[in-house]
Amino acid sequence: MALLTVENMTHSFGGLTAVRNYDLSISPGQIVGLIGPNGAGKTTIFNLITGIYAPDQGRVVLNGEDITGLRPHEIASRGLGRTFQDLRLWRHMTVLEHVMLARYSRLDYGMWGAFWGTPRRWRQEAAAEKKARELIAMLGLSHLADQVVINLPYGAQRRVEMARALALEPKVLFLDEPTVGMTPEELDQIIAIIKRVHRELGLAIFIIEHRLKFVMELCQRLQCLVFGEVIARGTPEEIQNDPKVIEAYLGEEKVA
Amino acid sequence: MTHFLQNLVNALQWGSFYALIALGYSMVYGILMLFNFAHGDIFMVGAYIGFGMASLLLALVAWGGLALPSWLILVLTILVSMFLTAIVGVIVERVAYRPLRDAPRASAAITGLMVGIILETGNLALLGASRVRFPSLIQSVTFDFGGVYVTNKKIMIVAVSISLMIALHQFVKRSKWGMAMRAMAYDYVVVPLMGVPLNTIAALTFGLGSALAAAAGILFSVAYPVLDPYMGIVFGWKAFVAAILGGRGSVLGATLAGFLLGFIEIFVAMVFPSTLRDLIAYSIILVILVFRPHGFFGEPYSARLRL
Amino acid sequence: MAALHHAKAGFKGFMRKAWSPFAATPALGWLLSALAAVLLEKWLGLALAHALGLPKIPMLFGFIIALKKPFLIPGTLAFVFIIYLLPMALVARFSAPLANRASRALLKAPLAVSALVHLALLYAALHVWAEVSDYRDITLRLTMIAVMLTLSLNVINGYMGEFSCSHPGFMALGAYAASVFTVGLFASDRLFGAALLPPQLAPFLFPLALALGGLVASLGALLIAVPSFRTRGDYLAIISLAFTFIVKSLIENLEWVGGPRGLSSQPDLASLPMVFAVCALCVWVINNFVTSILGKATNAVRDDETAAEAMSINTRRTKMAAFMFSAFWAGVAGGLFAHVLRYVNPATFGIQKLAEVLAMVYFGGLNSVLGSVVGAVGISILGEALRPLEIFKWILIPLLLILVMIFRPTGLIAFREFNLRRVLSPKEPPQGRS
Repeated sequence: MALLTVENMTHSFGGLTAVRNYDLSISPGQIVGLIGPNGAGKTTIFNLITGIYAPDQGRVVLNGEDITGLRPHEIASRGLGRTFQDLRLWRHMTVLEHVMLARYSRLDYGMWGAFWGTPRRWRQEAAAEKKARELIAMLGLSHLADQVVINLPYGAQRRVEMARALALEPKVLFLDEPTVGMTPEELDQIIAIIKRVHRELGLAIFIIEHRLKFVMELCQRLQCLVFGEVIARGTPEEIQNDPKVIEAYLGEEKVA
Repeated sequence: MTHFLQNLVNALQWGSFYALIALGYSMVYGILMLFNFAHGDIFMVGAYIGFGMASLLLALVAWGGLALPSWLILVLTILVSMFLTAIVGVIVERVAYRPLRDAPRASAAITGLMVGIILETGNLALLGASRVRFPSLIQSVTFDFGGVYVTNKKIMIVAVSISLMIALHQFVKRSKWGMAMRAMAYDYVVVPLMGVPLNTIAALTFGLGSALAAAAGILFSVAYPVLDPYMGIVFGWKAFVAAILGGRGSVLGATLAGFLLGFIEIFVAMVFPSTLRDLIAYSIILVILVFRPHGFFGEPYSARLRL
Repeated sequence: MAALHHAKAGFKGFMRKAWSPFAATPALGWLLSALAAVLLEKWLGLALAHALGLPKIPMLFGFIIALKKPFLIPGTLAFVFIIYLLPMALVARFSAPLANRASRALLKAPLAVSALVHLALLYAALHVWAEVSDYRDITLRLTMIAVMLTLSLNVINGYMGEFSCSHPGFMALGAYAASVFTVGLFASDRLFGAALLPPQLAPFLFPLALALGGLVASLGALLIAVPSFRTRGDYLAIISLAFTFIVKSLIENLEWVGGPRGLSSQPDLASLPMVFAVCALCVWVINNFVTSILGKATNAVRDDETAAEAMSINTRRTKMAAFMFSAFWAGVAGGLFAHVLRYVNPATFGIQKLAEVLAMVYFGGLNSVLGSVVGAVGISILGEALRPLEIFKWILIPLLLILVMIFRPTGLIAFREFNLRRVLSPKEPPQGRS
């Protein structure tokens, strides 16, 4: 059974239909890529699934539960982690605080516990810190754990975002253009990290990506989105050779 | 009905004070994204400079050196005070706001608050705690329009206010500087890169706003001639609310919201005991903001904020 | 520029050298030294003051007297040196080994024990200091109330990054709710008639009155918290400002609480120990909140709300909690305020109060418990110390604040956490154990 399915999702802003009749199905452990030219609506699809916008029409089902129209934090706590294309870190916080905060939905000590510092609070926060430190170590950030994020280099900030998303213990991880602005060196590094995360945590991953090298290497399935509609889906090889994709996507690449 | 029309006339006058002050707030807010909390006190400073100017001119006339009709004294007082208050506004911008341009906006709001206190206290220190009386420059004449009494002062106040608002509107709409100001309001980060001098625009904005506040101050003194150093607080904060209610940086919005506030206050006082005026006026504002959280003419940015 | 830099480095080096005898003095040692100084003042202060030609003990470390009567400055300086500086330096220096040992022993017990011992010592010192005059007593109580107000406003303006102007309103709600409770039950006055309960009960029910004030204020906060789900920043600032005006105007129109004339004859319940205990509780609880993950969620909402939601943080719950929590403590502070002055009127809770609290928050530092304490104490003491300057005080303090904003836009001590354990720990001299 599929872990995450999206059926017939449509959304428009004002009069403009940004996403039309979108379908998606991700099985446990699968890596699916979403490619397409700029402005095709890829990030909108992320925002629709993760609850930042409520879709006009269609259904999103995560692990058997209909999550359509839930608020983003509810969807996140049900096991959907994401990163953002334009890094969205909390600029005054340290790396450790970032990752610990994403454990928010696992805490049940309540406001009362926060005010009075009950033993339950200390216990739960210690557990959250332990988990956070594991993830930080996994992403190679241990030496930066107590640094404020804005002081970190770009590549490290990307990894902080990923560690933060992983702290949700997601079933599906959404990565929105994880390689934007990276050097080829950092690119290899991030591929290795994604592979490792995938292998060790057994996650399903859904990636928006521009770089073909990246999706070819990682993804098992690909979708190509143009003007809010999927024009092709299949294995990386199939997509690569699909004339429609070449016209819409690679053609643009050539011009650029 | 005459009662209603009478109040309408009063509300028009009352609202024009708010609208003139709100314009200054709104321009600064629209262009520099700042709360200029000192603006109410600039209104007060304008009134006092006007008082000084008028007294000086009257003294010159009495001394015999000049033979000016009193309406000309008023016009001169308004013009010179607008100019001098504009300079005060530019200085305030230079000292209290420009050094904080890259700081969090709240910090600049705090310096504005502090400049306001300094202006009030400075006035108190210079002139003492006693109130001063603005000289009466025009003879009050009352016209009777079928039971509705309108004084020449009211007509003058409303006419001058509205012409100033139209002048500002034309300036912002048509002139090169006005265009630069609108561009800056549109994008505060990129436009300076296009060669529009940010500092000049900021000074211009503060100068214009302060000049309007000075005009409001003098017009107010014509209608209610007793001045005191704290007169800017009540007026200023209410006009500030009107400015924000009008929508970010909207000249039209601030004007309308200023008049609206005047109307609400006058008509609330007409129906209810006047002690309830603030309570009801602010409750209406609260309700408006809860249901129209971005003012009348401001664009909603919540969608952008959410992503 | 280089010369300035050099001078700065030299100054720093000098300060470090001057401080080195005290590098090993822990918090406990400083509290002991303060206690020693105030005891000395209590026993010898008046005699010494007369011997130095001063009319009485300088009330505020000599600031006021120095500004009022400059020819007394030498005597004042001598007094401050003999009573405060010298004994404090001696006790701090020579009690250090003992204090360190005591601190270490205390830390073996739960942290709360050590904290309570420190608080008791702090209270003892303040108590003895305040006993000298009513002026000191009332200044101290008002300062502690200012600390509570500043800290609670910092939760919204600093930790959550909204610009809230509603604090005078919350404070007014708390002040009136608590006052109505105590005046109605324990005082015979023209508004509420005869006392309903014997006054002996009053001190026991006073915390209840304060809690009631806090609860009423946090109910009022709902009026702002709910719009904050949709609105942020500037419009929320206006909503909160309108709230303050509405509360003020509402109270002016409620004749049964005295209307614009205000409400008086509150029983004398806000004694120094009471205010101190409530203030300590407030600092402790707020510090607990802002260091918890649920509390840090407010920071996430401030820095990036979208990311906060995507990371499973319930932003509505967070905003609601922050507003109601902050309002609660503002209400409690308001209740204390009303019982310290034993009179309140609605005019107290206007723009002036707002400017005062905002000034304290931004002066001390955003997002910092310590900053708020420093801001509130600093501005309060400064306000008192500069009193002889009369109105020029209100030019000097705003100027100072403008300078702080220009050079440290987020305040003196911003974005710094307060670690109780580290503060209470023994201090080893830098060269290791001796």
